[in-house]
Amino acid sequence: MLRITGGKVYDPANGVDGVVKDICIADGRIVADPNGPGSPKPQSGECGRAIDATGMIVMPGGVDVHTHVAGGALNFARGLVPENQRAARKFLHAPERRAGLGGMTPTTFATGYLYAGMGWTTVNEAAMPILSARHTHEELHDIPLVDKTTLVLMANNEIVMDLLEAGDTERAQHVVAWLVWAAKAYGVKAVNPGGVAAWKWGKNANALFEPVEGYTTVTPARIISSLAAIVDELRLPHPMHLHCNNLGIPGNSATTIETMNLLDGHRAHLAHLQFHAYGGDDWGSMRSEAAHVAEAFNAHKNLTTDAGAVLFGDAVTITADGPWQHLLHQLTGRKWGNLDVENETGCGIVPYVYKDRNIVNAVQWAVGLELLLLIDDPWRVFLTTDHPNGACFWRYPEIIQLLTDVEFRKAQVKKLPAKAQQRVVLSDLDREYTLSEIAIITSAGPARSLGLSRKGHLGVGADADITIYHEKPEDGRLFTYPRYVIKSGEIVVEDGDVRAATAGREFVVHPAYDEGIEAYLRQIFPTVYTMSFENYPVEIERLRHVHIQPCV
Amino acid sequence: MRVALTLKEPPTVPLEAETLTPDTTAVLSHDEICALPVHLGKRQRRLDDFFTVEGERSDEIEIHGDATRVKWIGRGMTRGRIVIRGAVGMHLGSAMKGGAIEVFGNVSDWLGAEMTGGVIRVHGNAGGQVGAAYRGSLSGMRDGTILIDGSAGLEVGMRMKRGIIAVGGKVRDFAGLQMKGGTIVLGGGAELRTGAWMVRGTIISLTPVELLATFAYACTYTPTFVPLIAKYLAAWGRTIPFDPREGDYQRYTGDTCVPGRGEILVWRPVKSEV
Amino acid sequence: MGGKVTCTLGEVKNRADFIVYWGGNPAECHPRHFTKYTIMQKGKFVPEGRKGRTMVLVDIRETPSAKAADIFLQIRPGKDFEVATALRALIKSQPVDRAIVEDTGLSLERLQEIADRMKRARFGVIFFGMGVSMTRGKHMNSGAILNLTAELNAFTKFVCMPMRGHGNVTGADVVLRWTTGYPFGIDLSRGYPRFNPGEFSTVDLLVRGDNDAALILGADPGATMPQPGIDHLARIPTIVLDPKITHTSRLARVHITTAVTGVSAPGTSYRMDEIPLPLRPALQSPYPTDEDVIRRIRLAAARKPAWIPTPGAMTAIA
Repeated sequence: MLRITGGKVYDPANGVDGVVKDICIADGRIVADPNGPGSPKPQSGECGRAIDATGMIVMPGGVDVHTHVAGGALNFARGLVPENQRAARKFLHAPERRAGLGGMTPTTFATGYLYAGMGWTTVNEAAMPILSARHTHEELHDIPLVDKTTLVLMANNEIVMDLLEAGDTERAQHVVAWLVWAAKAYGVKAVNPGGVAAWKWGKNANALFEPVEGYTTVTPARIISSLAAIVDELRLPHPMHLHCNNLGIPGNSATTIETMNLLDGHRAHLAHLQFHAYGGDDWGSMRSEAAHVAEAFNAHKNLTTDAGAVLFGDAVTITADGPWQHLLHQLTGRKWGNLDVENETGCGIVPYVYKDRNIVNAVQWAVGLELLLLIDDPWRVFLTTDHPNGACFWRYPEIIQLLTDVEFRKAQVKKLPAKAQQRVVLSDLDREYTLSEIAIITSAGPARSLGLSRKGHLGVGADADITIYHEKPEDGRLFTYPRYVIKSGEIVVEDGDVRAATAGREFVVHPAYDEGIEAYLRQIFPTVYTMSFENYPVEIERLRHVHIQPCV
Repeated sequence: MRVALTLKEPPTVPLEAETLTPDTTAVLSHDEICALPVHLGKRQRRLDDFFTVEGERSDEIEIHGDATRVKWIGRGMTRGRIVIRGAVGMHLGSAMKGGAIEVFGNVSDWLGAEMTGGVIRVHGNAGGQVGAAYRGSLSGMRDGTILIDGSAGLEVGMRMKRGIIAVGGKVRDFAGLQMKGGTIVLGGGAELRTGAWMVRGTIISLTPVELLATFAYACTYTPTFVPLIAKYLAAWGRTIPFDPREGDYQRYTGDTCVPGRGEILVWRPVKSEV
Repeated sequence: MGGKVTCTLGEVKNRADFIVYWGGNPAECHPRHFTKYTIMQKGKFVPEGRKGRTMVLVDIRETPSAKAADIFLQIRPGKDFEVATALRALIKSQPVDRAIVEDTGLSLERLQEIADRMKRARFGVIFFGMGVSMTRGKHMNSGAILNLTAELNAFTKFVCMPMRGHGNVTGADVVLRWTTGYPFGIDLSRGYPRFNPGEFSTVDLLVRGDNDAALILGADPGATMPQPGIDHLARIPTIVLDPKITHTSRLARVHITTAVTGVSAPGTSYRMDEIPLPLRPALQSPYPTDEDVIRRIRLAAARKPAWIPTPGAMTAIA
């Protein structure tokens, strides 16, 4: 047994807000305190090891609800930017640690060390094609320490779109369920619905209610509502996870708000909302519409979202939104990677740098923070940067500082170009996040949204994924270097140093579908794909340490 | 009193000596210099395992011996002087910011790669990627001077942004590849694809050079900066012709495939009576 | 460079109406390419199959693949870079010197025609082979085609793909990228991955004699390397893992026969478009798998004193 004693516990899911209490761990889970509350302080050695957490903060381990860390697209990006790899943090080979590189597209082992080193213990790989799912799972297996979930790309799947066109929504549901299990995924991702399919002819889908290229009744709106309904019907633990149409385009807040309206009556999670909250008509007039988007979001209580915040500095944009990436390449002249995946999806990659002197980038920086401050329910908005699109995940502590320290934040806003300051409302916002709210947006909230009932909290029965921080850290920035990180009850990081490289688990779902759907798929498979049907589904044996989460 | 290093015997596998810079030796005692870490393959060793060391606390280093396998000498140096009497390995003067390097021998690939200042002189031949960008980097050398008496290899000045490279002998393919600025002087000709995909910058060739179809003859004239460059190089004993009585430059612009606004100036001497 | 614009093979099958094979001989080297993925297939959006597709073959000589071509462009050896560079200019309506371009073996008119047809394609693809990547210019030849493809996307949908060969080279590339950040030519001697083709790539290391031992798995450098490289392999301790006795085995210190991957050993193979395919062995083998042997070597090596790399000046700056 491991006992954490004397620390100030933040467990918002269980109503604990900065209370000094003990946490007891056994067999990888949090267990009831055998000594009960109010007992005399136990001697060390009693009930196994004790961590003296006096002067420290104890929180559930971080849960990243939207990141890109594994699979074909990310690996494509690694190869595209050797210059980033050269400049990246070096992880030296050690007896307990594999060599690797950090930076914007970290290698797999380094990814685990970086996340755990920051106190994050669960990670959701937000975009996985089915065709290369085997690859994604292999990479996830090579990410040590953290637990993982994945979302399979579905909103540009031509088999599904063809069924929607034919009006066969029931069969579409069985196909989606079969595909989720074939990919061994945890949930469903929708990216630029219709747009990625249109990109295969060099086009896009910018209008929610106009038919997608090659279709007459299938519109982005129809894909969105159909998929949301299907995911609800299948009772997947996480709602449909949606990257809205018109990402990045000035004036796209209108699309975002219309999309929210479309989703009435269903659960949904809107990804990286910052990229979808712009006003203006063109790059010259681009401004923040975070206030309107947040207002609409606050009213639609069926939705959750993640910030997708931007920080100044280098980034690599990696997204399934192929047409947007071609545009970014043409605007910036930076190199461009593109990979269209037959029948299913695609990806685009462009290295990018957010500059504080650039008006558009300055507005983007403000919008992410505005959304986090204007959305009133921290249980519905989560901290992400759409890594590595907005900023690298290991810079989350910088955003936490901006949320918790209003003086510091206002000082940063004053440094922005005057023109940019006029286009945002950030300087008027005085809200400061409490530590409890930070625990919600970095852990409790995303865990709940993902339906991972044993994560994001420190109640009895929870997975013992716990991070302990110095209350007053030396470098002034909380969360950068945890004192201890505990994963499944084992101390894996101490003082920023990885002590034990355990393997994390992978969570998947097995939604219900009519067994007969396989015959249907087998029959149309050769017309759209180029491999044998037998080779398509990922064998469950490929996933090590797998846990099947029920669909209820 | 300068620091003198004599290679005891050539290393059997590459020796990485990025600690060997004037910045380092300027402040170290003799014993500390002897103990400088170098890497023979994967094993960390001491500098004096491979060199006999004389001198201390000097930003002047002299190296004797066949250092073909010794890499990264002068990496990132900002001051002082390194003189090498013998051959030397890859990445000499990589990311150099200031100071001077002089080699009496041949150098390997990546000489002065991504340097931002300082002067490198090679009285011998160079390898490829002189003053170039490392793979994927946006730019090669951003300033500085590289002078090579002999020949050089592939991709001389690849993606260079500013600064000057002057080669006396022949260069191989892709001199000035994707050049963004700066000047390359080719004294002894070039093989193929000179100036390929260049964006800006000037290549001055003292002899006729084969051009890609994406370069067009623009005009015949001698730009006003040529005498300035000639004056600069004359300080190092290099001559570039520019006297109109001796000849003129044919100016070609390209590379139209980008489309770029680089130029290649090819010297055409006045025909003498034969 | 401009970048890499590509797709999986099913996209080519379903959409491509303009297919270029450049510097390769698929009829003999990728014998099922035409029938499984490209010109002979009826695609979802090319239901007419062969009739709806134009195939262009670019090569220095007429190979059996030319029989399947609608257009055969015979270019002079070593001119691939020049042809691709000229096409880059022509698609942008930029000037190209008539006399110099004729040196490629193709006239300006012919190149202009090809540029126009590329821009008019509904979905174009360029497959490029070792005739491009291994001839004078090497990676720059590949780069020229990559850039041309990226730039064609300003006009229409265009992709390109290297015609990978020899077993699971794509798989090695993919796995090395996720574990080290780089596709090949990787040095780990300073304790972390470093990449520099020409410095750390195999042929260069062997020819210069920069290494003092070699472990060869699934390759036969003793047959393909320049002679100085082969001589070096013979001098140093060389270990070979292979199902067969190869040229390299004959000059190696140790040869270990291993089971044939895909036939007797399981694993994953990555197709040229990076799609992972499971390998289901059909036959038994008396020999251990490559994986078995490497694991046992690692265990034995682990009994030796551990090598702990130290951070140094190299780890501090880029």
